[in-house]
Amino acid sequence: MTPKLSCSSGGCSGGGNGGMNRRSFLRTSGVLASGIAALAASLAPLRDLTDYTSAAEFMQTHYKELSKDDMDKVLDRITREVEKQYSIRPHVKDYKPMDGVEFVYCLNLTRCIGCRKCVHACVAENNQSRDPEIQYIRVLKMPHGSFDMEKGDHNYATPTVPEKGFFYMPVQCQQCKNPPCVKVCPVKATWQEADGITVIDYDWCIGCRYCEAACPYFARRFNWTKPSIPKDRINPEMSYLGNRPRKQGVMEKCHFCIQRTRAGKYPACLEVCPAGARKFGNILDPNSEVSYILRNKKVFVQLKEELGTSPRFFYYFDV
Amino acid sequence: MNRNSNIALGSIGFAFLVLVAAFVFNLWGHPATTPSIPLVDKKFVDTSPSRVSIAEFLRKGGDPSDYECNICHEKNKPIKIKFDADNNIILPKEHLDIVLGHGSHKRNNNCYNCHDETNLELLQTRDGRQLKLVDSTPLCGSCHGPTYRDWEAGVHGRTSGFWDRELGDYSRLGCASCHNPHAPKFPGREPAPGPHALHPIAKAPAHNEAERNHE
Repeated sequence: MTPKLSCSSGGCSGGGNGGMNRRSFLRTSGVLASGIAALAASLAPLRDLTDYTSAAEFMQTHYKELSKDDMDKVLDRITREVEKQYSIRPHVKDYKPMDGVEFVYCLNLTRCIGCRKCVHACVAENNQSRDPEIQYIRVLKMPHGSFDMEKGDHNYATPTVPEKGFFYMPVQCQQCKNPPCVKVCPVKATWQEADGITVIDYDWCIGCRYCEAACPYFARRFNWTKPSIPKDRINPEMSYLGNRPRKQGVMEKCHFCIQRTRAGKYPACLEVCPAGARKFGNILDPNSEVSYILRNKKVFVQLKEELGTSPRFFYYFDV
Repeated sequence: MNRNSNIALGSIGFAFLVLVAAFVFNLWGHPATTPSIPLVDKKFVDTSPSRVSIAEFLRKGGDPSDYECNICHEKNKPIKIKFDADNNIILPKEHLDIVLGHGSHKRNNNCYNCHDETNLELLQTRDGRQLKLVDSTPLCGSCHGPTYRDWEAGVHGRTSGFWDRELGDYSRLGCASCHNPHAPKFPGREPAPGPHALHPIAKAPAHNEAERNHE
């Protein structure tokens, strides 16, 4: 038996004689055992941790430093992870910006009827969590004759829209030329691409939410919990910087449907709009629809233009 | 001294056991729950046109007999249109399914403004062109010039497919795929469900609407 138990002064049994007998050893070890049990029990929530970061993901370098081979491996890993989690084999690609393309979105406030179909087409296209439900687009119901954002209501639930006396203004990521969210990111996990889309690398994001605080348009969303998407609602056409499934603790936002737009297609919110209020295209092409709008329509505002963010998202009126 | 340390050790041990029980049975730290969110109805992500135009109806193999006007009407013998004292059109019983509401005034209530009175299977534009029923878009354009110009540029109305015309096909819906030619005002509809909070909201009342909405 050890002659003396090493422990802090005062706490241990030791008494006056400085030795340790059988009884005090049992007593002390009993307390120690219960202490260890308490520590072990306190770690119980770790059992629920299944969504851990794999070693390969942990060792992965920054997006801009990934070589072609590295990216192939990363896409392969993501494919496997998605297949394991959702029992569906996705087509994950890393779409690059196209040469001579700068995307611009135009939204016709005369036409928008506030039906929120764009909100849900976006959720379906971009594999957002359904519960909690992450939505990139907010439709503000605004009284006629005012552009006071404080008067906007996004919880309207009238039986039919549009309601007399109101207009509807969908707000989503404005893809700013001077994005405040990019400036505040401490780890460079979000940046502006050559075609104007501000993207997020979900594997690099540390979830500090600085970008959410910096964004004046409330365009960024945080995954407070593990995202949940029913297997039959997964969109298998995925992009690395776009709609691949996210993890708990990372930011996400509208990315102009990278997996569609960089393949030449219109974004999902545009195609679903029953009123044709949404227009999208390449501003560097003088024959594009958005060029026509900026030339011929009453483009009244870039939202909160006084902030100097210079959005690539324009609101306009007909006539 | 020895007795005091016994009491101290005993109480520490007991406290540890209480902690074990607390952690194992998870007595605290339950996250506040939010009501579960039902999956959104798939009709809200449907991209099909708001209405079925004649052209679309016939393309999908619909029964064309409704559009074979000359079965009942005789060519070159225009029917006289009747109006009541308020200048409202009196529709014959065969056409009572038509709701006429083209414009907010009552001036555009003459069938022959658009239909060709000499051959009702055709449409006539204001500048005298004859068009088939399935090609109504230029007819609309003969009055709604600026809108037609926008439509041709892909700026009025719905487009789908590829913005980059070199990479794929692009399609543009005609007027009648969204507007009923007899009552063209775009009808209202049920809005899709609104936003939900992303995390449980504290019970304390929010100061104002904007704060309550903010996640």
